[in-house]
Amino acid sequence: MNLEMIPVEIVGLKTNLQAVIRIIRQMGCMHIEELTDLPEVSARPLSLDRDTLRQQEELSLLVARVGGLLDALGGIHQKPVISLTGNYLAEARAGVEELMPKVKALTSQRERLESELTSLPRYEATLRKLLPIIPSSVREPGNRSVGILVNREHMDILDAIGKRVVDLTQGRAEVVASDVDVSTRAMLIVFPEQFTNQIEALLGREDISRLRLPAELGDGSPDVVLAALYYRMASIPEQIKEINRELASLSAQWREKLAVWRAVLQDEIEASRILPRFGETDLTFVLAGWVPAKEIERVEMALRENVGNEVFIQKLKMTPEMKKRAPVILQNPRLAKPFESLVKLLALPRYGHIDPTRLMAFFLPIFFGMILGDVGYGILALALSLGFLRRFKEGVLRDILIVLAMGAGWSILFGFLYGEAFGTLGEYIGLHALWFDRTSPDHVLGLLIMTVAVGAVHVTLGLILGVWEAIKDKSRNHLLERGGMLVGLIGLFFMVGVLTDFLPQGFMSFAIAIVIVGIVLLSMSLGCLGIVMGPIEFITLVGNVLSYLRIAAIGLASVYLAKVANEVAGIAGNVIVGAILAILIHALNLVLGMFSPMIHSLRLHYVEFFRKFYEGGGRPYEPFRSRM
Amino acid sequence: MEIDLTTIGTGLTAIGAGLAIGLAAVGTGLAQGRIGAAGAGVIAEKPEALGTMILLIAIPETMVILGFAVAAMLLLLGGE
Repeated sequence: MNLEMIPVEIVGLKTNLQAVIRIIRQMGCMHIEELTDLPEVSARPLSLDRDTLRQQEELSLLVARVGGLLDALGGIHQKPVISLTGNYLAEARAGVEELMPKVKALTSQRERLESELTSLPRYEATLRKLLPIIPSSVREPGNRSVGILVNREHMDILDAIGKRVVDLTQGRAEVVASDVDVSTRAMLIVFPEQFTNQIEALLGREDISRLRLPAELGDGSPDVVLAALYYRMASIPEQIKEINRELASLSAQWREKLAVWRAVLQDEIEASRILPRFGETDLTFVLAGWVPAKEIERVEMALRENVGNEVFIQKLKMTPEMKKRAPVILQNPRLAKPFESLVKLLALPRYGHIDPTRLMAFFLPIFFGMILGDVGYGILALALSLGFLRRFKEGVLRDILIVLAMGAGWSILFGFLYGEAFGTLGEYIGLHALWFDRTSPDHVLGLLIMTVAVGAVHVTLGLILGVWEAIKDKSRNHLLERGGMLVGLIGLFFMVGVLTDFLPQGFMSFAIAIVIVGIVLLSMSLGCLGIVMGPIEFITLVGNVLSYLRIAAIGLASVYLAKVANEVAGIAGNVIVGAILAILIHALNLVLGMFSPMIHSLRLHYVEFFRKFYEGGGRPYEPFRSRM
Repeated sequence: MEIDLTTIGTGLTAIGAGLAIGLAAVGTGLAQGRIGAAGAGVIAEKPEALGTMILLIAIPETMVILGFAVAAMLLLLGGE
């Protein structure tokens, strides 16, 4: 069922605009429309002044900064409980200004340390290669060393450099080299300090790539540098931990405040975004929207009490055009509520049309139960869905789990009627079919007829609702189409009655006449193509009824898979292997048994049932309300 | 050698039933494969179209159900 909505227009002096916005937000029940979409209301769109625009931008920037700080400090996992002071905007600005530099400094220092920690092992590998070949002269005071890395393809350069260095220092330099990896060779030059400039100039001229180490490691000899590197590698994680501790302490101090500021500021931004939907004249503002009929008095009273007579609310006349645009609120009893998600999965029903949630809540679990129909699988499916329900507190998944639990309940009931517990295992505990034994070929025909009968009832109900909708909408075409189908289907029931000797033979001509009348009515609704399309549509309708055979077909597949599992256990030759195989096949059957009946029951509703009457495409009701 | 026409008839009925459901299943599979591939693309772009896609994917299944109906009729009523 969808709730009655009333289109309203609120007009007042511009001086009261902010007060009205505050009251409507507090009430939280008005769905505000774009004024340009309502030709019934004449006013130019409200133009925002420069100050308002600047304030919006400022708020957006502040929210982004608060969000950035929350990301850096780690989000909040529970609803913040602190209360706000009146001047929360200034507080938020000051807080962000105070916190931002501290967090920025700590996070950038952490990033630098993390990147250093990643790069140090690369230097370590090179230095360790050089270590065995380091000459003792490197430790003599007054000596300096330079490392060079060269690709093996250019080995001749190393020899040339070595020679030039020895010449340049008159033989006082020492040159050693070693392979770093398959493609690189390293060379270490040890020379007296007074030749530093000449050596640097030589290496610069030859464009040689030097082994450059992070400044933190100093510029000593490789063994000293390696020792410094090991010290850094050991100390950096400690430094990172210290930074994380500082951030955690800041987080404990600030994050709750930040979360509250973000929520409040986002709320403010949302409130200011609603303004372009308003209209204005020189002195007044106008806003229009939808209020649920049961709330209208409360809104009127709140406006009167808080703003007085300078603002008035006027109920607009509901035109057919407006009815098409009215937002929809579904209202169903608690048991049917989870099925709303399944209805919305297809489309929200249009305002003023049938909400099929309750019908779905009645039929879908029964269809599920008829398909699965097994005490054992039903109990397991019920336990699993109830178990998972604890994990999901809200959302579509929770609704699906509740639907699954209801279906599992019906499965247990149908399990007793079919005499099934894990397929044929029920026989061993004295379970016998009370209605249909699906494992017996003698009962299959009866089962098929039963499912077609269920289909006939369901489709007929859909058509009756469709005819009712057509009459309500005064739609001649829909009435002819759905009425024709209904009449033809009733004729078909008479024919089946005669063929099964349920009715006397004399009814046959009458039944054929009714079917023909139905097809003619259906053809009339389809215009020129009706003469061809009418009979085809009628055959499709018969196909819709036969489609309910899937209730039997999928159920039979499940029964036979369970039977295979039980028989495999018997012929495996080994009790343990047999039991494992049986459990695996039963587990597969259970998963299929939870998934397949749900999908097929949904399909029977969406395709066979809803298409006879359902008008989708409704607009969701989105009231203007505070998030706080 | 004497030919038992009843046995041949029963065998042919079983083959007919197998063909009825098998060919219908192949047709359904081909159709669902194409619709499913297109549907996966649609849902990636527009998750709210999930319901419509389930509906579209489910439509060709009627074929295999009708195949099942024919097969069941052949097997259960074929001998009468």
